[in-house]
Amino acid sequence: MSDKPKIKVATAWLGGCSGCHMSILDIDERIIDLAKLVEFTASPITDLKEIPEVDVGIIEGAVCNDENEHVLRTMRSRCKVLIALGDCALTGNIPALRNSFKLEEVVTRGFVEIESTQIAGVPDTTVVPRLLKRVRPIQEFVKVDAHIPGCPPDADTIWYALTELLAGRMPQWNETNLKYD
Amino acid sequence: MIAPKQITLTINGKRCLGQEGDTILQVAQANDIFVPTLCHMKHLSPWGGCRLCIVEIKGSPKVVPSCSTPATDGSEVIATSPRLHELRRSTLELLFSERNHICPICEMNQGDCGLQHQGYVHGIDAVRFPYLYPTLPVDTSGKYFALDHNRCILCTRCVRACEEMEGIHTLDISHRGIHNRVVVDIAATFGTSDTCTNCGACVASCPTGALFDKASAFRGKLNSSQVVRTTCLECPVGCGLEVYTRDNRIVNVFGDFESPINRGHLCVRGRYETWAEPRERILTPLVRRDGKLESASWNEAVDSVRNAARRFQTEQRAMLLSPRLTNETARAMRKLAPKIGRVGVVVVQHEEALCRVNGGPTPPASALDQLQDADAIIILGARPSRDNGVVAARIRTTVRRRGAKLLIFHSRKSDLDRYADVSAYAVSLERAFWKQVASLLQDVHRPVLVYGPDAMTSIGVTVMERLIKIFEVNTDGRTQSLQLVALPVSTNGCTWTGAEIETVEDVGLWLGAKPLRYLQVVASDEPDGGAHLLRERHVRALLDNVDCLVVQASYRSALTERAQVILPSALWSEKSGTVTNFEGRELPVRQVVPPRGEARDDREILETLFS
Repeated sequence: MSDKPKIKVATAWLGGCSGCHMSILDIDERIIDLAKLVEFTASPITDLKEIPEVDVGIIEGAVCNDENEHVLRTMRSRCKVLIALGDCALTGNIPALRNSFKLEEVVTRGFVEIESTQIAGVPDTTVVPRLLKRVRPIQEFVKVDAHIPGCPPDADTIWYALTELLAGRMPQWNETNLKYD
Repeated sequence: MIAPKQITLTINGKRCLGQEGDTILQVAQANDIFVPTLCHMKHLSPWGGCRLCIVEIKGSPKVVPSCSTPATDGSEVIATSPRLHELRRSTLELLFSERNHICPICEMNQGDCGLQHQGYVHGIDAVRFPYLYPTLPVDTSGKYFALDHNRCILCTRCVRACEEMEGIHTLDISHRGIHNRVVVDIAATFGTSDTCTNCGACVASCPTGALFDKASAFRGKLNSSQVVRTTCLECPVGCGLEVYTRDNRIVNVFGDFESPINRGHLCVRGRYETWAEPRERILTPLVRRDGKLESASWNEAVDSVRNAARRFQTEQRAMLLSPRLTNETARAMRKLAPKIGRVGVVVVQHEEALCRVNGGPTPPASALDQLQDADAIIILGARPSRDNGVVAARIRTTVRRRGAKLLIFHSRKSDLDRYADVSAYAVSLERAFWKQVASLLQDVHRPVLVYGPDAMTSIGVTVMERLIKIFEVNTDGRTQSLQLVALPVSTNGCTWTGAEIETVEDVGLWLGAKPLRYLQVVASDEPDGGAHLLRERHVRALLDNVDCLVVQASYRSALTERAQVILPSALWSEKSGTVTNFEGRELPVRQVVPPRGEARDDREILETLFS
């Protein structure tokens, strides 16, 4: 093992299902190789909350509320390379389905009409993040340096993209390795 | 005919041969040069809308769509370049950002979507434009298919298929610019459309998940399904089918573009009614015990049929057959008939006479191709829009798109009347009328007469003689021979000629002709389970007086409910053999899936019972 300093990585989970983070773990034993090269700082995997200054930031999920936007902007300001991981971060994907409805319709459906509701009412507190009018992909807020499409991206796809980036190359996408689902 | 001039051009530096009139895309494809396409479909007219097939031509600053630009002799075409790649990629990104293309929730995901495929081919990992996320409706009101505007790329393949294959023009594009939208009857839905025939050509041509078949959705990806080519048994036309299956279930049915008969097109009966309809299938033999139908083994059922039949003499026994059985079953039945008793095959009125007239060698050219080349089509005593949807479609496209004249002599109004130059009841036609018909047909060179069973009536024959006479009188040096196309109604109805099996046009009359104790009805996979035989009260009364009624059918019906014994028939998709179509062509019926439950091929059942 070289004494080269490890590359610092932070990941964040915005409006998504965490499937992309699951897919990172799906790289199985290769995670040991990855751990030799990188140090995971703030991440849902490590459960560390505060994002430090890092080399690589990885974002899963679309921007659905003001907290998502805040986390995204914090990540961008503290990382050198920002990677969008998965279709929600790239296109809005399933969270963006609500864009076909007015915000009032969405919260009424979610907090009042939904079958599991027992105490109906839209929460009016600063503790709960405020929904944005429209769900948007992250590149509509900040500059994104690399994209890994997929819903979720395969472990192999993630491995390919991360190893390419760690080797200082941009992943090349084509018919053989692209998958939008 | 003069052979088209040969032309030579280079594409990507490769010397390519083509013919004058070919588009650049046609030459490229013929020379194995890949050009991405999305709105292009081989069997539809070029559109040039999606701009994916753009190419550069040396000496011109512009890029041109290769699908709608004629290839010119000596030109140098570039089909692959960084500039073209960037333009195509931007076009695709605009398409992705314009509507809500959410791959993970789409039925066409994983290989059946042209847009997704082009995204992969062009290496699109992210879209550089802001997504518009428009609010768009989904029309699920149609019986067999739905239209999701969220996934539409406005390639107009559905619009062109509706116009050019079905000849109906139910679909079109309305509004302007970003508000462009596919519309059904301008402002209707598929459920409320007056014109839509449910032929499904629009769905078959849609490159994305915008139009999808309800019965097929989420049953399996087409590109990883098995495909079997077989023949439609719903009418005597004999259209070629491409049946997609997965895990021994039918995923979808499309028209076979390699079939010289339907050339990829189907009507609602072939496309959907055979597999996308909920019907109660008979899965085991059923024997009536104490008034109740109960499941039985094949051995028990065969024994009870044999015992019942044995109780009566041959003269007291009869069997009615659906004509849609295979030729092999027909041959087997000719041998078995003397052992069974009176055997009749049920056809529609005047069909026997039509089959007799129609004998003769099979024309080399397909009758439907003749219809397409005709400059006048005369329909006499046939109702293709009800009975043979693909023939009706070919007539409509020829009349509407090629300007052929259409004359209909009918006994009942039909959907084709609105396109007709002459639509007349085939009764009491006067001299002045015939004069008008003669003048209408004066400049006609390739007339085709499509005639059905009703042309065999005395009035029908009179009309036909008058028409033939018009063309005789008109032949003053011009070629104007009238092509005759006989169009029966029953599938395989003309295959049964022979002394052993009678042709039954009036079921009541035939059944009532002799005292009857044992009757077996072979309805096979008739969609109504043979219930149409009960339409006449007279027949119902006769069936009530039969000691033993055995019904061989695929589906439960009012007829099977009267049976003593029910034997489960295999479906069109579960047997193999051949059928003979209206032109006399012998066409293959191939097994697509194994028979469900205990169902068996009708021939096997009949041979087991009576050999």
